[in-house]
Amino acid sequence: MKSALRNAYYFTLSRYSLNPNPSLLHIVPFISTFPSLPSVLSRNHPFRSPLCATLMTGGDSDSPQTSPSLEKQFEKFRVQLEDSGSLRERIRAVVLEIESATRLMQASLLLVHQSKPIPEVLQKANSQINVLKDLYNKLAEVVRECPGQYYRYHGDWRSETQMVVSLLAFMHWLETGNLLMHTEAEEKLGCMFREQFGFCFRPGGLSCWCLFHVK
Amino acid sequence: MLCSSSAAIKRISVSWLIMANNSNFKSHRLSRSESSTKRPRTMSTHSSLKDAFSSYADNLNALNEKRERIVKASRDVTMNSKKVIFQVHRISKANREEVLEKAEKDLAAVRDQHISRLVKELQGTDFWKLRRAYSPGVQEYVEAATFFKFCQTGTLLNLDEINASLLPLSDPSLEPLQINLLDYLLGLADLTGELMRLAIGRISDGEVEYSERICRFVRDIYRELTLLVPLMDDGSDMKTKMDTMLQSVVKRENACFSVRVRGSEYIPLLGSSDPSSFLVGVSDVEL
Repeated sequence: MKSALRNAYYFTLSRYSLNPNPSLLHIVPFISTFPSLPSVLSRNHPFRSPLCATLMTGGDSDSPQTSPSLEKQFEKFRVQLEDSGSLRERIRAVVLEIESATRLMQASLLLVHQSKPIPEVLQKANSQINVLKDLYNKLAEVVRECPGQYYRYHGDWRSETQMVVSLLAFMHWLETGNLLMHTEAEEKLGCMFREQFGFCFRPGGLSCWCLFHVK
Repeated sequence: MLCSSSAAIKRISVSWLIMANNSNFKSHRLSRSESSTKRPRTMSTHSSLKDAFSSYADNLNALNEKRERIVKASRDVTMNSKKVIFQVHRISKANREEVLEKAEKDLAAVRDQHISRLVKELQGTDFWKLRRAYSPGVQEYVEAATFFKFCQTGTLLNLDEINASLLPLSDPSLEPLQINLLDYLLGLADLTGELMRLAIGRISDGEVEYSERICRFVRDIYRELTLLVPLMDDGSDMKTKMDTMLQSVVKRENACFSVRVRGSEYIPLLGSSDPSSFLVGVSDVEL
């Protein structure tokens, strides 16, 4: 038994010593970065991972390079992920504008507590509604580019939209004393809060409607 | 800034109409708001309000129940996929065919019995909306399927291939359940962990070359994944997996180093009973 094991290891070692490129790197385990080592595998892009040197240890002549189908698949993934990343950036850009229009509305609505007449307060806030309408249209256009993936990006505009809706509800109540309904909110923002678009008017299962008492 | 202004609004007396998932709440809440309304304006269209909220509550309840069922199915997928993985780990030169045959059958069973439940619940919609409910199960399935494929052929199971195998589960008139890119990559990252465990197991069984082949494969995957991780939505899970992956590659390389280099130093003293031998505790190998 012992000799069998010994033979096995002698065999492996002798195979190893026939390797035409004996190098310490073959056997030293990779535990720190070796920044200046050339990579055996030439790639289009510089590879800065610490694994760079371990890649050199593929000294066997019969070891295949990364299979082309593997590379092709991952290249496809990279393109898809980059596209979705840039879509997300465009969404965020529109959402930031929505956020700033919302802040303007909110600031003007605060005047209601300083006993300013309601129509005056509402006028300023109402002017933002058209801005928001345009912005939501822009958002809809971007989202239309990725059909079926509405909910993938939903989180990027969900909380901002909740704020918009709560402000609209407040304004509606100030004007009419009624609760803003789903369909009315849709009309105000000019966007389709419909199932085909997938917009869920009740995001996340908890939606806070604040009805304000005004003295 | 938004937070501070909303906090300011909250300081004023407020009556909240909080919509909960419970359909019982609405009558309770509505009556509270009515009683606290002491101003000339009253809430009109009261019954339509009730109806609207009632339908919201119904929708939410239905959605949550659907989500629950999906989570249950996902857990079963996870459990059974793990069983497949454990089985494949028992592979060795002697029992290869037998193990692979059983694993293939069991993977098919996961598909037919459990993933089909996901398909049934999702009914061709809301794949992204409910993704968090079934993502763990799908990741585990990807891990099991790719692990099996590697042990069988030494190659990586493509996303297209794995999705093709799921197509028959879906009704042709509906959008089929397809594994999305993110879940595939997450499953792949877990695969590398299993592969490294296999590699170390192979070393102790004396199959050093096979172990090296596994390691090369894992390095390839790691290399490809480093380009993708920064681009992924919610990349934080993936980043942890990448760190683990690198650690396990290093661990395996250390094991191989021990076998190769220190093995030569200690060969005259080889024997699993020698306390200084790195083979202490390793089962004897019949060659």
